[in-house]
Amino acid sequence: MLTSNVKILKTLSNFRATFIKTGIFVSLAAYWGIILVGTFITFN
Amino acid sequence: MDVFLPIAQVFVNPIEILILSAIVGVLSGLFGVGGGFLMTPFLIFLGVPPAYAVANEANNILATSVSGSTTHYLKNTLDYKMGLMIVIGGIIGTSLGIYTFSYFKGIGKIDTVISLAYMYILAIIGTLMLVESLGEIDKAKKNLLIKKKIHVHYWIHGLPLRMRFPKSKLYESAFTPIIIGLMVGFIAAIMGIGGAFILVPAMIYIIKMPTKLVPGTSLFVTIFVSVIVTFLHSFNYGSIDLLLVFMLVVGSIIGVQIGQKLGEKIDSSGLKALLAVLLLIVGIAIAYDTFFAEQTFEEIAKISNKDLNFFSLFILEFSEDMPFFYGLFSIMFAIFLGVAAAFIRRFFSNLRKKILLKS
Repeated sequence: MLTSNVKILKTLSNFRATFIKTGIFVSLAAYWGIILVGTFITFN
Repeated sequence: MDVFLPIAQVFVNPIEILILSAIVGVLSGLFGVGGGFLMTPFLIFLGVPPAYAVANEANNILATSVSGSTTHYLKNTLDYKMGLMIVIGGIIGTSLGIYTFSYFKGIGKIDTVISLAYMYILAIIGTLMLVESLGEIDKAKKNLLIKKKIHVHYWIHGLPLRMRFPKSKLYESAFTPIIIGLMVGFIAAIMGIGGAFILVPAMIYIIKMPTKLVPGTSLFVTIFVSVIVTFLHSFNYGSIDLLLVFMLVVGSIIGVQIGQKLGEKIDSSGLKALLAVLLLIVGIAIAYDTFFAEQTFEEIAKISNKDLNFFSLFILEFSEDMPFFYGLFSIMFAIFLGVAAAFIRRFFSNLRKKILLKS
């Protein structure tokens, strides 16, 4: 019972970390997308 | 209470400039980064035209790097030989940078080029810092110790004309520091920054200098690069405004001292992610300003010479009548402020030690 609880907590913590990292990665990709598209539009 | 800048021809709020430069100074002192890549965009947001923001921030960097370098000189943590090699490259790079600046100014695109350069530099540094700080937090959580390679050789290490650098205990090609100086000088001339964010990692990872000599040598190089940038901007475009420089220097020197004291007390590695986010926000603000904001033509402040006070009139006439001596004066003014700040700091540091010894 105790072991399974620890396992669930670990999985949740890993899931949270992956979620945050994905969020940061998506934000950075969006950020770079905006500035690259903006530069492209400005120079056209 | 707005003050009219006689050279930049705009009204600014001195309290805003003092507070902003102090905040940037605190960040510089806390994280060991130069504040140029944050302060120049802030000046642009406050309404100072980009070409003037670049030139005046370069003069401010001169004062702060003189102040920092004097402190390192007193501590004997400077490699002059290596510094001079980087300066040689810096002189060539700065001249190329000013030539490029003149070209874009000539075709009327300099403001767009400066904005774009800032946007990309902030985006690159912000992204790298964010990724690095997240990695550090991750490693600290998992208590990981990753062995790094001590000697990584790049093509730059195979260059000829090798010489000894006794202070750094290195046997390196003279071209390595010259090439690094060239890049730093070029960027400094166009963007009005000291270039420490390129110079410091390059000195550690490419030249492989001892870490204790890096900050002092980097500041030593920045003095020469910013002297040339200040002089060329002042002489070619008459864009140095001593009133603005004075406000910037006072704010940033006070801020740097506070930042260094804070840095001794708190662990700044966790705050690195916050600085990275701040850089990215400033980058996106510049992007918005450049791409999406409606083009509004700012009213050019029409103020006749009669309305200027004695000090503003003196600056304006000095800059117009004697551009060469005005450029020299701007440099001497910044050096004087920087050295004075270093000695004031030393005086207070000694005073504190005496008081602590007595009690």
